Amino acid sequence: MGEIFLKSFEALWQVLVAGIVLGAGLPALFALGIRVLGSGRTLAADGASYTTPPTGAGRVGSTVLFAVCGAAVLFGIVVIVFGSQIFGK
Amino acid sequence: MNEALLILAIVVITALAFDFTNGFHDTANAMATSIATGALKPKTAVVLAAVLNLVGAFLSIQVALTVSNKIISIQGSNGAPIPALMGVPILTIVFAGLVGGILWNLVTWLLGLPSSSSHALFGGLIGSAIAALGLGGVKWDGVVSSVVIPAVASPVVAGLVAAVGTWIVFKITARVAVGSREKGFRWGQIGSASLVALAHGTNDAQKTMGVITLALIAYGSWTDVHSIPLWVKVACALAIASGTYIGGWRVIRTLGKGLVEISSPQGMAAEFSSAAVILSSSHLGMALSTTHVATGSILGSGVGRPGAQVRWGVAGRMVIGWLLTLPAAALVGALCWAVAHGVGGGFGIVLVFAVLVAAAALMFRHSRKTKIDPSNVNEEWSGRLAPSTAPSETKTPVGV
Repeated sequence: MGEIFLKSFEALWQVLVAGIVLGAGLPALFALGIRVLGSGRTLAADGASYTTPPTGAGRVGSTVLFAVCGAAVLFGIVVIVFGSQIFGK
Repeated sequence: MNEALLILAIVVITALAFDFTNGFHDTANAMATSIATGALKPKTAVVLAAVLNLVGAFLSIQVALTVSNKIISIQGSNGAPIPALMGVPILTIVFAGLVGGILWNLVTWLLGLPSSSSHALFGGLIGSAIAALGLGGVKWDGVVSSVVIPAVASPVVAGLVAAVGTWIVFKITARVAVGSREKGFRWGQIGSASLVALAHGTNDAQKTMGVITLALIAYGSWTDVHSIPLWVKVACALAIASGTYIGGWRVIRTLGKGLVEISSPQGMAAEFSSAAVILSSSHLGMALSTTHVATGSILGSGVGRPGAQVRWGVAGRMVIGWLLTLPAAALVGALCWAVAHGVGGGFGIVLVFAVLVAAAALMFRHSRKTKIDPSNVNEEWSGRLAPSTAPSETKTPVGV
């Protein structure tokens, strides 16, 4: 019984690390993209919207960051389909 | 028609019914947050989830005969049934287990509680195995490692990941215009939620495919333990997808509106957390239940946002539900086995099946009293599941 808990704890620890890196890291990148897209723009008085369009740098930067998140989702699909072959279960 | 074939037919129908309840019970896991924040219209969300579940079910290339083998001793190490139990004995055990799983799924759906369908099935099987074979019929080590520990750990792990993600996201976007922030994150939400739906189709349809294949082997009409008949694949994929499409609106409402007041950045962080935890766990030797992970993630997204409202009372009800899942489904599974076996043969199975149908109809009728559908699923949470207004076909759904 003790061995089961030890093994489970080991696996859970790995899941937690992978989860934090991907599950919190990717939202952070996405958020960065949203922030970059809004940088250098003028806020409306109520703070709800912008009165100026995104800057060129903002567009490029956010596109790159969103693309990384998109690629991660595609990688997720690859894991779903071929995961057991890649990781050998 | 010979008796064993009749029993097999009922077992297959019951397994597909379980798959169907599995589908609608779990629509919320992927789509509750997107529906709650308005990222997707309720109807669009369930169609998307249904299609992805259908695709996911066909993507499963692993043979899942081993699912039941982890927790009860009715199969040899290669997944084939133990010779002594071939035929009606194993069919009866599997059937009673399925009935236990279905009934628990329906009760929790009626109460609007997210609850793991796999654990309900495991509970039912454990109960019927104990009734049929005694305590030795259960692999207790397997129960601890693949049911008990994951159930306790998954909400904690997923909640932690989502809380960290949510906290960072709000830090980073603190000075972004509120309107464009909400709008931007909806896209991230849809992408990550889709991933969860796809993974769900792959994981969960597989379990029913394994159960049906096991029944076919027990009956003697299939011998290959390494592949699944095509018609079983098609039937299971359709069952889980149509269940998903029906949408368990009661569970969607609890997860999307009841647990946490959710905004789209939180929704995105929650779904990314669910996707990451589900996918990494299934390849790191500790498969976690989608339901427990999704619930933990949504809870975490409330904890991680400073000032967000988290309804711990609702969370507490869910935890109680999870604790009861295994014993409750086991009790029903054991009872069903006793009745089916006691009455004996095809008639016993038919009798239990009739009780299942009657109980399902009763619960469905009861659910109509506080009907929840796409038009009122997003109504403000006023301390209980039932929305204050009844659904109407003409009214524009809230949040659309």
